[in-house]
Amino acid sequence: MENKNPLSPHIQIYSWHISSLVSIGHRITGVINIIILTIVMFWIGSLLIGENFYQTIFNFLNSFFGKFFIIGTIWSFTFHSLSELRHLFWDLGYGFELKTANLTGALVIIFSIVFTVIIYLIGRVFF
Amino acid sequence: MVQISLPQNSKIEKGKYYKDKTGSKNLRKVNIYRWDPSTGENPRIDTYEVDMDNCPSKVLDLLNKIKNEIDSSISYRRSCAHGVCGSCAMNMDGKNGLACTKPHSEIKGDINIYPLPHLRVQKDLIGDLSTLYKQYASVEPWLKNSNTKSEKENFQSKEDRAKLDGLYECIMCACCSTSCPSYWWNGDKYLGPAVLLQAYRWIIDSRDEERKERLKKVADELKLYRCHTIMNCTNACPKGLNPAKAIASIKKMLATS
Repeated sequence: MENKNPLSPHIQIYSWHISSLVSIGHRITGVINIIILTIVMFWIGSLLIGENFYQTIFNFLNSFFGKFFIIGTIWSFTFHSLSELRHLFWDLGYGFELKTANLTGALVIIFSIVFTVIIYLIGRVFF
Repeated sequence: MVQISLPQNSKIEKGKYYKDKTGSKNLRKVNIYRWDPSTGENPRIDTYEVDMDNCPSKVLDLLNKIKNEIDSSISYRRSCAHGVCGSCAMNMDGKNGLACTKPHSEIKGDINIYPLPHLRVQKDLIGDLSTLYKQYASVEPWLKNSNTKSEKENFQSKEDRAKLDGLYECIMCACCSTSCPSYWWNGDKYLGPAVLLQAYRWIIDSRDEERKERLKKVADELKLYRCHTIMNCTNACPKGLNPAKAIASIKKMLATS
């Protein structure tokens, strides 16, 4: 017989930890990265068509939304890479103690922002 | 299937408000999940004003006080009151734990008490753990050793015994499994942290002769690899154990064997 009793609340009431936030962030940025890569590939492809497309992309990337897009892309990739690094250490069997896991989780969040700023500035200054 | 929202019959409604009758100045509001199977109504949150001047330190004491002095109809499991039996596992302040070891002074603001997450509720704070127990039985949690005739001791070196530390202490309270989002969405197939920690406890036991068969049995896309190292289990464990590490150890054994 199917149990018709109510289901106790779960995600609605469960408090977030650093580890669960980084975990869901890892998944979301993973999906976003694939979408961004696809868009970038189409852009590169569109360059073959002619100069007009280059100008359109150039204008977009220099607009306010374009800058937001660039910074978002950098953050998404840095966050996912750093978090993946954390996962690689876990796969080797290290870093499971609660304190370590919380620390590395916080480091992922902090350094994803730090690296985003650095990479964006490098891009602005040198390219 | 990932279902974020609760089904229609599980939506929580506003319940009764029990005003303080003692005239105490040191009051705290306690919100408790209530569901009565005999009425056919939806679950509700009842709020109790509790006199904290005459209440011992743990959340379980608080519940006992409410049951004894304010509302005797409230149901919850409890037995040893010393963090040994695992009966009073519930969700307090958004985190799973044992009511008998969790001090209510650690909770800021109103005290919210729910049953363990994503279980079929039987009454009030009592969730149905029968799926988890079936999964526990499926890992055959007993020593398998062909040498049953011998009347001598079954020796184990100190080093091999030490491998069981951090595993044998598990009291199967289900705090970890019911804190795991993967277990919420795939609880019928994924074994969950509690059962996998128990599985590892027998895999790593030097006296057990069926390590290979045990590993083979859990090596399954759904049974084992739904663990995505969210670490909610380790965060929740009231005994300070590390189910996430135990699961990773199984994965590592499978990858290297």
